[in-house]
Amino acid sequence: MTSLLRTLLSSALAGLLGLDTVQAGQVLLSRPAFVGPLLGWLNGCPAEGARIGILLELIYMDFIPVGGVVPPNGTAAAAVGVLAYSAGGLAPSLAFFAGMLAGVAYSPVEYRLRAARSEWNAVVERELSAGTLTLRRWLARAMIIENAALGGYVLAWTFLCAAVGLLPRIWALYPATDFAYSLMPWLGLCGLYFRFRTQAYKKNG
Amino acid sequence: MAENEANKTPARPACCAAPDGGKAPLGAMFLRSFFLQAAWNYERFQNFGFCFALEPALRRFYPDPERLKEARRRHLQIVNTQPYMASFVLGNVARLEESAAAAADPAPALKSMAGVKQALATSFAAIGDRIFWGRLKPMTAEICLLVWAAGGFYGWLFPEMDAPVSVWLLMAGPLAGILVYSAVSVYTRWRGLEAGYRCGGSPNCALDAANWPRHIKLLSAAGFVMALALAMISFGVLAGASCLSCSPGRAALKIALPVAVLGLHRLCRAAGKSVFFAVGVVLAASLLVFSIFGVEPFRLYL
Repeated sequence: MTSLLRTLLSSALAGLLGLDTVQAGQVLLSRPAFVGPLLGWLNGCPAEGARIGILLELIYMDFIPVGGVVPPNGTAAAAVGVLAYSAGGLAPSLAFFAGMLAGVAYSPVEYRLRAARSEWNAVVERELSAGTLTLRRWLARAMIIENAALGGYVLAWTFLCAAVGLLPRIWALYPATDFAYSLMPWLGLCGLYFRFRTQAYKKNG
Repeated sequence: MAENEANKTPARPACCAAPDGGKAPLGAMFLRSFFLQAAWNYERFQNFGFCFALEPALRRFYPDPERLKEARRRHLQIVNTQPYMASFVLGNVARLEESAAAAADPAPALKSMAGVKQALATSFAAIGDRIFWGRLKPMTAEICLLVWAAGGFYGWLFPEMDAPVSVWLLMAGPLAGILVYSAVSVYTRWRGLEAGYRCGGSPNCALDAANWPRHIKLLSAAGFVMALALAMISFGVLAGASCLSCSPGRAALKIALPVAVLGLHRLCRAAGKSVFFAVGVVLAASLLVFSIFGVEPFRLYL
């Protein structure tokens, strides 16, 4: 299987898994800790995929999707991180930071998709009055759009990362990104530890 | 006497006869509840998914197309709650709709429905956010890391480590977390639907279905114990690896760096900054030292 075909399939899979974030199931198949090793496995780098995935998971854990807030997208982050390394040819450390940025930059896209669906309410009301409403169709439409948006977004970022990888002297960044990357597990562990420490010591739970 | 009985249980209008005893089809509602947020929008939040999940019950209670249309319109209004706990609200509303469909005068049941729905959605969202987003979700990462540690994989802690590792172990970590999380979330969805349907009708229905504060405390404690274990394992492995591989001075530096990261994390928190700020500081400092000042790159660990 060529690298391009694998990238296309991985992007499509990321789009599909991304539905689990909000729209369907929500059984955490969209979390970077799962998407990372899975896409890494499909692209021949399971250990690096697992590493990128779990570190993104630990960093993104700070954001909770309450009250309609759009947190950074972990699926996009892990998929871009793994594909930037496996298909884009970036060093794992730079691929990790590219993935993290891609996940954050997906929030405005997600926001616009949600905002666009607000306009559906009036159309649905009209269909209901006319007796032609099929909710299943609207839900399917929402999921197909979201799936296509995320898949396309991951693919676009992968091409962007591949282009960045071709820049002259890009390797000059690697000592710095490698060092910063080696400190990320500790930053993630701090977040994890203090999250539960604060909760465990709360008087009212 | 007979007249009194008739007053207590008003006759169901001919249009509203439920074909099979009026029981809500909880199985279909349960399956549909997985798509509650499929068309989440800023105007009415989960309204599409909520109405979609409730539809099997509405179709059963309202064979009359006009009454069904009105019922669907009611549930296309604004609703927002925690997705797993939504089933408590769904069950409750299904019961309310059943009562309204069966009543000769459905106005009182319908009048209270919006208020009850709103009250329950808010209460269960507060509980669900704390249990699922605040505790169980981070715990899946802890479970993943503990499974990896048990299998001897520390590559996530030391990016330079290239020891061969089984794909099955790599997948087992996240899958273990997902299994635990899904078991709880799927059970909650089903249990909520049942409990809500059983006691439906009041604004505090099913809020006592479990000892929520106790569950929240237990989850906090379990999460903290696992986080502590992970911190000890990580620092233990780091200290062991550093002491074996270099001089005492360099070993001290290697251990001091994670401690400095911890300090940075706390400083960012105290300043109200997100974790991305800390990531940015680490990355900017690294770029300055290694890429701009040209300090000779070195491997931090191992």
